[in-house]
Amino acid sequence: MAVSTVYTVLSLNSACSISKPNKTHLGFNQKQLVFFKKTTTITTTRRATTVITCSAGDTVVIGLAADSGCGKSTFMRRLTSVFGGAAEPPKGGNPDSNTLISDTTTVICLDDYHSLDRTGRKEKGVTALDPRANNFDLMYEQVKAIKNGVAVEKPIYNHVTGLIDPPELIKPPKIFVIEGLHPMYDARVRELLDFSIYLDISNEVKFAWKIQRDMAERGHSLESIKASIEARKPDFDAYIDPQKQYADAVIEVLPTQLIPDDNEGKVLRVRLIMKEGVKYFNPVYLFDEGSTISWIPCGRKLTCSYPGIKFSYGPETYFGHEVSVLEMDGQFDRLDELIYVESHLSNISTKFYGEVTQQMLKHADFPGSNNGTGLFQTIVGLKIRDLYEQIVASKTGAPLEATKA
Amino acid sequence: MAAVTGVSLTTPKVLALESPKKVQSIKFSLLNNPWKRCTEFGRSGMYVRPVAAAPEGLSEKLAESVKSAEEACSENATSGECVAAWDEVEELSAEASHARDKKKESDPLETYCKENPETDECRTYDN
Repeated sequence: MAVSTVYTVLSLNSACSISKPNKTHLGFNQKQLVFFKKTTTITTTRRATTVITCSAGDTVVIGLAADSGCGKSTFMRRLTSVFGGAAEPPKGGNPDSNTLISDTTTVICLDDYHSLDRTGRKEKGVTALDPRANNFDLMYEQVKAIKNGVAVEKPIYNHVTGLIDPPELIKPPKIFVIEGLHPMYDARVRELLDFSIYLDISNEVKFAWKIQRDMAERGHSLESIKASIEARKPDFDAYIDPQKQYADAVIEVLPTQLIPDDNEGKVLRVRLIMKEGVKYFNPVYLFDEGSTISWIPCGRKLTCSYPGIKFSYGPETYFGHEVSVLEMDGQFDRLDELIYVESHLSNISTKFYGEVTQQMLKHADFPGSNNGTGLFQTIVGLKIRDLYEQIVASKTGAPLEATKA
Repeated sequence: MAAVTGVSLTTPKVLALESPKKVQSIKFSLLNNPWKRCTEFGRSGMYVRPVAAAPEGLSEKLAESVKSAEEACSENATSGECVAAWDEVEELSAEASHARDKKKESDPLETYCKENPETDECRTYDN
């Protein structure tokens, strides 16, 4: 299988390889040869006609917008687990790095693109939510480079000290996830995203979660937690919230409707809002696509404990877009409830029956494993895997067409 | 005061003890981390960048920041300083909770086996 690859100086940046078309396209094999190589060896090609295949675009970029800090969040761990392997911080690097790396995915925290560190922000009187505290030009340049298969030196924002640390090397992975406050804020970065997700937590639920998180700390009191949320709200509403109109999928977390006057925030109503017409993304549906369904699985075949589970599905409009909304209210108590629900959902992109349940069980200790947050995060993870496979299949399909022609 | 110890910068994070943090000399850190800003050292000599951020240090930072936020907001509740101060509180709370989660998870056998899966204690058999 003699394929001569020519690495020219001009095409170094996009790591393209020029191959002879008489052999069948090697697919991944060829692309792996090309990654990270900056050699200038030139071998002569015997043929006049050549096909240029670039490893550019092998990287699928996913954007995730979420409020509370970055890094080891539950959604990321679920997502990386769907692809296989555990995501770890880079070994031997800065211990306060926010990056997670696994075999197929790399997750970076957009806080690393802060242009002002903590003291700088205090001086200027801006929050981290404010676009003035972030370097969108650098973010765009580096995400574009990674998408084109070029490794970058990305700065590190140290959350412990509040300073900007020296950069770390990020190599282009198969799946590149950018997580933070502003993945969809800048229009150029938005164009680079293959899929985007927004985690929309309602105010009541956010308050309940923050109380659970912070009441254990000595410095905090109920008033200080409340004041902190109130103070950040104007910036959040102005800069972060508008991003949800651009997201391909929104996971909205609301207080439950099953328990009247519930203020504990333990039982949640979670809505998965999926945009219609997104390339490579087929929304999950219940029973019949495009119709409106309301479903309570508990009954004769399945017994649930209080407050039970309620599903609904239907088409809606969201910020002027056509969307399909799948909603779950309540929680899972037993394994068989989960598998029962999974067997009735369609288009969940599982590779085998029970994959969603298996993934949920694998991380049963994660928060949200018994309600819609965990379920929908897992399903979105599977849809992303499906999206990635479709993109890769279409890329390997295209050069084959070119050689045939 | 600035006792020089053999603490190298590659000390793993697992050794989160109080004493190494305090004993680490200021001069060492400046030499080895020339990118560090002077402001960090100006404030309080003990808060040089520790190799492992002990949650105790973080909790103190958090309590301080809450106090300073309340002060900043007592003057003017809508000013930039007030908002930025509460944002800092939020950031530190998030860090503190992550640190707590990390501490919870450290099972010595698990951490050892992550690095050395081929040793006898860590082998797993799937069939």
